[in-house]
Amino acid sequence: MSDTGSNDPYDPNRPSQPAPGTPPPPPAAPQWGSNPPAAPDQPGQFGQPQYGQPQYGQPQYGQPQYGQPQYGQPAGSPPPNYLVWAIVSTVLCCLPLGVASIVFAAQVNGKYASGDVAGAQESSARAKKFAIWSAVVGLVVGALYLITFVVLARNSDTSY
Amino acid sequence: MTTHPLVGTRRFLGLGEPLATAALAGVAVGAVALVDPNEPGHYPTCPFLALTGLYCPGCGSLRAVHALTNGDVTTAVGLNVLTVLAVVGLSLLWARWAWRSWTGARRTTVAPAALLWSLSVVVVVFGVLRNVPIGGALAP
Repeated sequence: MSDTGSNDPYDPNRPSQPAPGTPPPPPAAPQWGSNPPAAPDQPGQFGQPQYGQPQYGQPQYGQPQYGQPQYGQPAGSPPPNYLVWAIVSTVLCCLPLGVASIVFAAQVNGKYASGDVAGAQESSARAKKFAIWSAVVGLVVGALYLITFVVLARNSDTSY
Repeated sequence: MTTHPLVGTRRFLGLGEPLATAALAGVAVGAVALVDPNEPGHYPTCPFLALTGLYCPGCGSLRAVHALTNGDVTTAVGLNVLTVLAVVGLSLLWARWAWRSWTGARRTTVAPAALLWSLSVVVVVFGVLRNVPIGGALAP
C-alpha cells in the first residue's frame, strides 16, 4: 500500500526541496521599499523566475551550497533578519512574540547560509511582519495597561 | 570589496538612522536613570507578572538599566543578567551598523543560525529558571 503513492513527492527531478508548502509570493517585491540601510542591492534579484526554476540554476548559486555563500555572490546582501527588533521586543516584555521573532531571524540566516536565498527572503518578510506586529501589540497593550494603571491608581487614592 | 565610498554630506546622511536610534535609546535610558524604577508607583508592573505572578525573561530590566546608569554592574547583573548582556550586544551591533552606514559598506555575512536558535532557547530557559528554586539567583 505504501509503495504506490511514493513517486509523487520523491520526484527524481528534484534534488532538493524547492519550496515549503505555501506558494511563495514574489519575495523580492516588498524587499525594496523596506530595506533602509542598504544601497541598491542585488540587481539580479528581480529578473530571475523564482517559481519554476530549480534553485541551483541561478548565477548566485554557482558555489556549492554549503560553502561560504559570501564569496559566490558579489552583489548579494543577506536579507535583513530583524534580530535587533526581536531582542528589543523580548527585553521589553512582549514574551511570546519576542521569542518567535528570534526564531524567524534564525530561519533567515539558516536558509541564507545554506544557499536558499529565496527562502531566506521569504523568512525575512515573515520576520519583518512579526517585528511590526510585536511593536504594534506591544504599544497597544502598553497603552491599555498604562491607562488601567493610571485609572486604578486614581481610584485607590481616596485621600486626595 | 563591495564598499561604496561615501564622501562629505552623504556620510552624515547615512549616519542619520543610527544617530536617531541612539538619540531615542538615550532618551529612554535617561528617563529610566532619572525616574527610579525601584520606587513603587513610578512604572506599572510588568503585565506578565501582574497576570500570572511569574517573572518573564524581561522582568527586572528597568531596575537593571537604572543600576547600569549608576555604574552598579553587580546589582544590574543580579536583577537581570540577560538585560546586561543585551545592552552590551545591542551596543556592539549598533556600532557595527553605524560603521557600515559611515563607510557605505554592505552586510555580507550572516550570524550562524545555530547561534540565534540557541539565543531563543536561552531566553526561554532563563524565563523558566528564574521562577524555580534552583534558579533563584536569576530572579530579579
